[in-house]
Amino acid sequence: MELLRSVYEVAGFILLIALGVAALEGYFYYHFKFHDRPWFFWAGLAVFPLLVWSGFVAGGIAKPGLFAWLFAIEAVVLAFFRYAVKGRHSLAYLLLLPAFVGLALLLVYPFLFEVYLSFHDLKLTTIMMWKNTGKIPFVGLEQYVKVFTTSPLSEVTFWALLGRTLLWTFSNVFFHVLGGFALALLLNNAISLKGVYRTLLVIPWAMPQVVAVLAMRGEFHSQNGFVNIILGRIAEAYPLLAGLGVGPVQWLSDYPLLTCTIINVWLGIPFMMVVILGGLQSISTSYYDAADIDGASYFQKLRYITLPLVKPVLMPAVTLGTVWTFNNINVIYLVTGQAGGTEQADILVSALYKAAFTYNRYSYSAAFAIVVFALLFFISVTYLHGFDAAKDER
Amino acid sequence: MTGTRKGYLSGLAASAAEVMDSPVRRAKALRYLLIHIVVITAAGICVYPLLRILSISMRPGDRLFSTDLSLIPDGATLAAYASLLKDTMFLRWLWNSLIITLATSFIGVSLASTAAYAFSRFRFPGKKAGLILLLSSQMIPAGMLILPLFLMIMKLKLMNTYLGMIIAYSVSSLPFSIWILKGYYDTIPRSLEEAALVDGTSQVGAFWRIILPLSTPALSIAFLFNFTTAWNEYLVARVVLFSSKQYTWTLGLFELQGQYITQWGMFAAGSMLVTIPVLAVFLYSSKWLISGLTLGSVKG
Repeated sequence: MELLRSVYEVAGFILLIALGVAALEGYFYYHFKFHDRPWFFWAGLAVFPLLVWSGFVAGGIAKPGLFAWLFAIEAVVLAFFRYAVKGRHSLAYLLLLPAFVGLALLLVYPFLFEVYLSFHDLKLTTIMMWKNTGKIPFVGLEQYVKVFTTSPLSEVTFWALLGRTLLWTFSNVFFHVLGGFALALLLNNAISLKGVYRTLLVIPWAMPQVVAVLAMRGEFHSQNGFVNIILGRIAEAYPLLAGLGVGPVQWLSDYPLLTCTIINVWLGIPFMMVVILGGLQSISTSYYDAADIDGASYFQKLRYITLPLVKPVLMPAVTLGTVWTFNNINVIYLVTGQAGGTEQADILVSALYKAAFTYNRYSYSAAFAIVVFALLFFISVTYLHGFDAAKDER
Repeated sequence: MTGTRKGYLSGLAASAAEVMDSPVRRAKALRYLLIHIVVITAAGICVYPLLRILSISMRPGDRLFSTDLSLIPDGATLAAYASLLKDTMFLRWLWNSLIITLATSFIGVSLASTAAYAFSRFRFPGKKAGLILLLSSQMIPAGMLILPLFLMIMKLKLMNTYLGMIIAYSVSSLPFSIWILKGYYDTIPRSLEEAALVDGTSQVGAFWRIILPLSTPALSIAFLFNFTTAWNEYLVARVVLFSSKQYTWTLGLFELQGQYITQWGMFAAGSMLVTIPVLAVFLYSSKWLISGLTLGSVKG
């Protein structure tokens, strides 16, 4: 019964989408065939909102206000097509419309809403008021001041988080590229079982990230984790090393950031490896043959042939990897996000997430998000600018 | 594969005899041996956690916390799998994930396929601005939009529903999908459509009957991308879904591993059940996935 209801709920939504597509189809007809028939406009105005509304009803959400909204939207859309778009670009706009409506509602609007939130005061005590009346007290720049003066969690400051984020991003990307490059160079040799190795090496990337991170967190558990078991055995077998401090470590409570970094490096190397390997394989061997004739050493070939030719593939991957790592909430939250979890490993974005959903400081978190976005934007623009400048020099 | 492996083995045997008389060849064999050792070590590090989960999932209940490192534990049993399926709502979680993910991917791909067609085939005012908007939308940190989406979903009274999740997920992979599909459409010669137009179909008909069928590989890549993104998502689900009946599998597994340490075996069993199909699909499709990624970027 439960399952059946869930099917209904989604079937309603699917129906809604199907109707949306049907409506779009109708617009096509309207544009191509019913161009001169005035009844279509009125028929469309009457029929489409009703159809879409019944989709909502089937999905289990029926509100009278909704119908009025749909009607208004439909009227605007139909009028738009009847009077505004009659030119030769109409089809292109029609094709783009659904995607851009989706993006506007679920990407642009939330972004603007976040800006709005950051100037108001929405928190656990005001959320009921907002739910019922839709009003939140206006506080101006107070939230932005708080971002820099108070801790988003319980102790850690914005500046500490910023430093940690930069360290986290840099060390992760560095090891991703280093490890990925090394493995790609090794795999680019004419070795046997290459396909098997490649398959095994991409497993961390291919596994669902939640499983991979949770499993790795288990491996860093102080008693039952693989890492400490091995460290314990080494300490047992070689008392000399144990005297130097080798032995089980409280990874999750004493070195949470290091643990997260190790886990994320493990997760991220395969992607870089695959990208770089793709770049390496596209390099023609004739370059290397020519270099061999000239008597170039291995490192000269690496420096003057491989690196420059891999660069076009590597740079986008590094850029992408940097943004991904900077924005990586998943690893840190999954490792430290439980009740009683530490905040010693948090970076900007994970602190942002925790401030909103563990501490329920919505407006604060919105202001925080805007600051982080501005920061990322600034870094990206500077970086891309530098990238272009470097291109011009060549 | 078998051919090269055979060649490798016989090569090893032969090299034992030949290596002695040729320092160059000896150095080469040594180098290859080293490469194999390093790569095997790396592969071991990559695979080992997965094997550990497999091993833990088969441990009998009283030995869950042993420090045993063997891969097949003594007294291996499938009891954890049985109790996972019987005592938890694991199947229900999988079902929830499946519904949300399929609906999301379907919406994402259908929106992307038409938008990409417009970008690929038409010149219209605002085209460049649209493409830039798509690219720059990728710069918005995903974590940043969770809060407003959460509040919107709350306001719409869609908390704890599939519909809320689908709405939250549906456009997250859209810019990327449009980008991939546009790159693919660009490689399809226009003459095919022109021929169809001459034969009397409309532009929409040409898209529907010619471009879409020809783009099956790119469409499947986009679908796969949408699917894996939504399937593995955790952070949005964490805040939108709060009753364990509505959980997706990611939330369920987190709870199994997090709350009661005694459920370690069930967590491992659940992880295996989720990972194996995902791994299979990924490995099967990785060639297209990667070529699709590069295709989109090269043609962009």
